[in-house]
Amino acid sequence: MLPDRQREGFGEGRSGTVKGDAMRSESRRTAAKRTVDARKLISRSKYRREFLKKLAALGTLLSVPRPLISSLVLSEEAGQLGELTGRFIYVGTPPERKKLKVDKDVDCCGKYDIRDESLLVGPDGGLANVYVYLRSRGVPVPPGLAEKFPKRVTLDNRDCIFKPHCLAIWYTVQEFYIVNSDPIAQNVAFTPLGDLPANIILAPAPGEKTDATWRFHRTQTEPVHIVCNYHPWESAYILPRDNPYFAISGSDGTFRIPYLPPGEWEFQLWQERVRQLELPSYPRGRFTVTVKPGLNDLGTIRVSPASLKVT
Amino acid sequence: MREFVNFYDMTLARHVLTLFNMMFADPAVPLTRAPHRTAAIDRKPVAVAVLLIVLLSLAGCGKSRPVEFRLNTEGRDPASISPAQREAIVGMLTDLFGTPDDPRVPPGVNLDLELLRRAAGPTRRDFSGVERGLYRKHCAVCHGISGDGAGPIAAMLNPYPRDYRYGVFKYTSTVLGAKPTRQDLERTIRRGIPGTGMPSFAPLPDEDIQALIEYVQYLSIRGETELYLLRLVVDENELLPLSKQSVIDEGVLPVAEAWEAPEKDPEHWVVRPQRPQLDEAQLKAAIERGKLVYQEPRSQCVKCHGPEGRGDGEQTDLYDDWNKPKKGVTEEQTRQLSRWFSLPLQQLKPRNFQEGIFHGGGRPEDIYLRIYVGIKGTPMPAMGPSPGQPGILTPEEIWDLTFYVLSLARKNDIKK
Repeated sequence: MLPDRQREGFGEGRSGTVKGDAMRSESRRTAAKRTVDARKLISRSKYRREFLKKLAALGTLLSVPRPLISSLVLSEEAGQLGELTGRFIYVGTPPERKKLKVDKDVDCCGKYDIRDESLLVGPDGGLANVYVYLRSRGVPVPPGLAEKFPKRVTLDNRDCIFKPHCLAIWYTVQEFYIVNSDPIAQNVAFTPLGDLPANIILAPAPGEKTDATWRFHRTQTEPVHIVCNYHPWESAYILPRDNPYFAISGSDGTFRIPYLPPGEWEFQLWQERVRQLELPSYPRGRFTVTVKPGLNDLGTIRVSPASLKVT
Repeated sequence: MREFVNFYDMTLARHVLTLFNMMFADPAVPLTRAPHRTAAIDRKPVAVAVLLIVLLSLAGCGKSRPVEFRLNTEGRDPASISPAQREAIVGMLTDLFGTPDDPRVPPGVNLDLELLRRAAGPTRRDFSGVERGLYRKHCAVCHGISGDGAGPIAAMLNPYPRDYRYGVFKYTSTVLGAKPTRQDLERTIRRGIPGTGMPSFAPLPDEDIQALIEYVQYLSIRGETELYLLRLVVDENELLPLSKQSVIDEGVLPVAEAWEAPEKDPEHWVVRPQRPQLDEAQLKAAIERGKLVYQEPRSQCVKCHGPEGRGDGEQTDLYDDWNKPKKGVTEEQTRQLSRWFSLPLQQLKPRNFQEGIFHGGGRPEDIYLRIYVGIKGTPMPAMGPSPGQPGILTPEEIWDLTFYVLSLARKNDIKK
């Protein structure tokens, strides 16, 4: 939990990390004082937030020129939103992807070449399926952004594997749609922390009852593993978030997080082999960027085999 | 010391006095009427030694350690949690939920503190004759003080006792994903779980059972809050100190709401079996239809339960959600992982219907619910419809399947 003074966004962002042990050395008195200060700040920032909300509503009503309330109403047209991009490159030759043991429903699944998907490297070294997502909280979401996102995020059971392998969902806006395209029954099971566990079965396709929708109720701090209890080799990940600021690197290793409000925000890198993807300049897979309006390119991020525990 | 004296009465104290006498008495003067036995040795050093041993062994007696909740370190190296992080998590949990002797209810959580107080604390009877400490009396030996399912005898049981801290309960009447209702927990406590170490507590007075249900919910909400805190403080390395209000808002209340949902809106969450009234011919037809559903590939029953329901399907690598994290890809990995868990990996066996023992109960309604809503935390999926997913079988098909399953178990029993 961030103390609330830092959870309130509006350009302040996080002011550095206080190490966990620092608390011990502090006297209780200082701690108490801090709490009091924090409370003051909370009420102050809450007040400010309320005030800005009202101002925004008023602004929309009277169609006040936007720059006047620029800190709140963020519009893409005005070129005030930022976009974070970058590219993950795997350094070295990736090992051959291991063939997975397919011993269930062999009639149907045996004919596919099913291989391990934990490390996918494109022909030009691009590293796929790396999650990049916002860690800072309380970052404002520009109004009207929801329309720019598809209504549903789809997980397909096709050719005896989950497609795609990595997913992320803005769960307050999007719904999770699960469908089966295989001629065999499929199962989709996942247990998000502190949220309802799912264990869904889907009838063989084509036919009825081959799809389902699922609602998440809580934001997760890391992707949730999806498995199939019928076919143990099947695996996928989904990251439910309460904001749209996430991306998964594509087959060429690139990622793109658009519509970011300017400010200093902290992000997380995550890869299924190692979870938090620790890199030399990304301790615990984290980094802070000052997002400016327009393009913010992180450039090429080189990922060594060691950092992905590739032997 | 007071407890010790109460416990052993004065017998031991008298022995200690005798030892004092031996120490300070003149060795030449015999203490007893049988001098020939003791004359040869110098009694003094022996007495000193014995007294020392007695006193040392008493040292821990008077002040027993207060009973504490154990921090959930399942699946992680305890050393990876720094002392400050541990302090923050334990402190926050104690602030919100109190201790095993003195439970607290966090604001906004709908738990009855009076009932919790009956279940919590050491086993005792108060002045008005009300029995207290019920959880420790009836449950803790298997389910542990913290509700971690790792009590002193847990390792001997198969399946293991439920670990409440993940908020998942197997036998419920609620749809896929939902928490159990109070009635579900009550049914499990009253009837026990046949074929497992969970006995029936039906002879207990109703208030005692209500207190235990409350306490199980309390431990479960506390456990899920603990998981939230571990994720936040250890995995996410969050800034300390934590803000209590946001822990309540983000950690406690969502869990408490999930518990309340089926109680508040049973229409949406709870499945109520309506058993069809069938005559003998109809029942026979239902069993025949059920057999077909059982064997159909869409139902996938055969996969785990086998063609004749002997629990010998091709799917053998089955684990419940509590054991799954202990399973590595290789055996070596599993061994490595098991260091960080309190109980070793335990495999799950699909039910053999022919044995006629059903964990969730053997009434047609029970079987119907197991098929309809699945067994939570296990690979047994929900076959019936639930919000957002159409389910794979209709209620009628599930009744057919229920009668078929029962026909395998007790061929002559279900005519009525």
